[in-house]
Amino acid sequence: MSSHREAPGLLQDPLADNTDVYAFRTPGDTVTFITSYVPVEAPAGGPNFYEFGNDVLYEINVDNNGDGIPEVKYQFEFTSKNTNPNTFLYNTGPITALDSDSWNRRQLYKITKLTRKRDGRRGQVRYGDPEYVKDNIPCPPCNVGPRSTPNYAALAAKAVKDLGGNQKVFAGQRAESFFVDLGRIFDLGALGPFQNLHLIPTPAGTGVDSIAQVNVHSICLQVPIKDVTSDGRVPSDPLSPKSVIGVWGSASRRTGLYRSEGSSEGSGDWRQVSRLGNPLVNEVVIPTGRKDEWNSKTPAREADFEQYFLHPELAALLPVLYPGVFPNLAAYSKDRVDLKAILLTGIPKEVGIPNFQNFTGTTEADELRLNLAIPINPNPDRLGLLNGDTQGYPNGRRLTDDVVTIELRAVAGVTIPLVDPTFTPDGAAGVIEDGTFPPVRQFLNQFPYIGTPYSGYDVPAA
Amino acid sequence: MQPVTRRSFIATSTAGALGVAGAAAIGSPFVSAAAAETSDVLTASDAAAVSGPTLVKIIDAARGKIEILTPHRTIKVTDPTLVHRIARASR
Repeated sequence: MSSHREAPGLLQDPLADNTDVYAFRTPGDTVTFITSYVPVEAPAGGPNFYEFGNDVLYEINVDNNGDGIPEVKYQFEFTSKNTNPNTFLYNTGPITALDSDSWNRRQLYKITKLTRKRDGRRGQVRYGDPEYVKDNIPCPPCNVGPRSTPNYAALAAKAVKDLGGNQKVFAGQRAESFFVDLGRIFDLGALGPFQNLHLIPTPAGTGVDSIAQVNVHSICLQVPIKDVTSDGRVPSDPLSPKSVIGVWGSASRRTGLYRSEGSSEGSGDWRQVSRLGNPLVNEVVIPTGRKDEWNSKTPAREADFEQYFLHPELAALLPVLYPGVFPNLAAYSKDRVDLKAILLTGIPKEVGIPNFQNFTGTTEADELRLNLAIPINPNPDRLGLLNGDTQGYPNGRRLTDDVVTIELRAVAGVTIPLVDPTFTPDGAAGVIEDGTFPPVRQFLNQFPYIGTPYSGYDVPAA
Repeated sequence: MQPVTRRSFIATSTAGALGVAGAAAIGSPFVSAAAAETSDVLTASDAAAVSGPTLVKIIDAARGKIEILTPHRTIKVTDPTLVHRIARASR
């Protein structure tokens, strides 16, 4: 999956598991960030339905000077409350409002905005006092079913909080937005439409979206573009370095944990346990033995992992798993500078994509880079930049971008000619996909954009 | 401060077996342990600093390097005397 349960340590800590990150330009000179956590929630999750971790610090990070360190951080901390400790029920009647008396287990959160200030004398990164702190913002309930959460979409919409200053926030359960044929891909790299060509062939078929009816918990934030750019302006020149930001999500826990009867408390500094910029990086680029280490480091330390980007394991596996299908890729032994550009530095204008770049400098950092001067495309192409849609992945990421196919084709070699014109991609590199587009779930046409979660009543066995 | 025995070490802790050790160090994190021992009265701010789970991790016993995990931050301290006491109490 994009980054669901991707690391041995983190898979034991789902509440802190950052599963996907999206960043895309939205109307009114705003940008929307979505970070999701808690992978593969079965909608019928009662009696204790899913929630964010009350002992986790969730962050949306924005780097606007290309050093792999956030200049702007939005932090989210959650608190749960039981309004009636004498019942085992999540709710004792229909939940018709966010302050409904019949809703027993509810969750509130605090958002804090921090802006980086000048580093300390010894180079330590420092942040100023919070630009703002907004507390006691309610999450919506989970989508239980027609009796408990009637008219769920309207109820959840009430949890969109206007923060003032053209900012909106929402945090709560949402439908899983990632789409992928997980069952086949992790069965030795099978791809439904092409599995007849696999080393261990089975009849070709359609892709199956393995996570089509599960939920996640998402933090969605819409802010003015000028709030996150380096010069405080809305950029208009796509070729200006000031037009590009790098975005990633993260989750941290306190260093220590003290357990007592019926409770536990953390202590010490926050320690990062999960991060995510580009989809699938920790999932398929970083080897298992270093995934948790990768999660603990900031993007500024990405150079520690450079070798896995320059010579990705998947690029070596494709010719083995699909004999005779990728001969040119098999023969290519140079560093994958194309993948380094896409995933670690951004694509420089010198590559020659007309009126486009999202280069942030030579510092290698896994960030979702977004050129904010690229206007909104009213007809987004699922293959994004691969099909000439410069507003799509890997320029930011929209909910409908088919990132599995984009990255599969990139790893298979279609992007090598951008940096090495001597290379001719294999024919298959331009057509392989996992066959799960279009996604079956519905997205919203307004904030928070990510779709209404499935209810346990409607999907009793996800 | 009274000598710390294993029994008193555990009995006097309010936030776990290592809490009292954290309290002793937080009062003067960059002052020698001997100086800390000149007063056996915790100030209000001392007590507030450990009004939650306060844990101590010994990083390097031989050099007396420890990390004190207070409810909201981590403090690095070098205090061979404190480490010695913790080590003896832990036997």
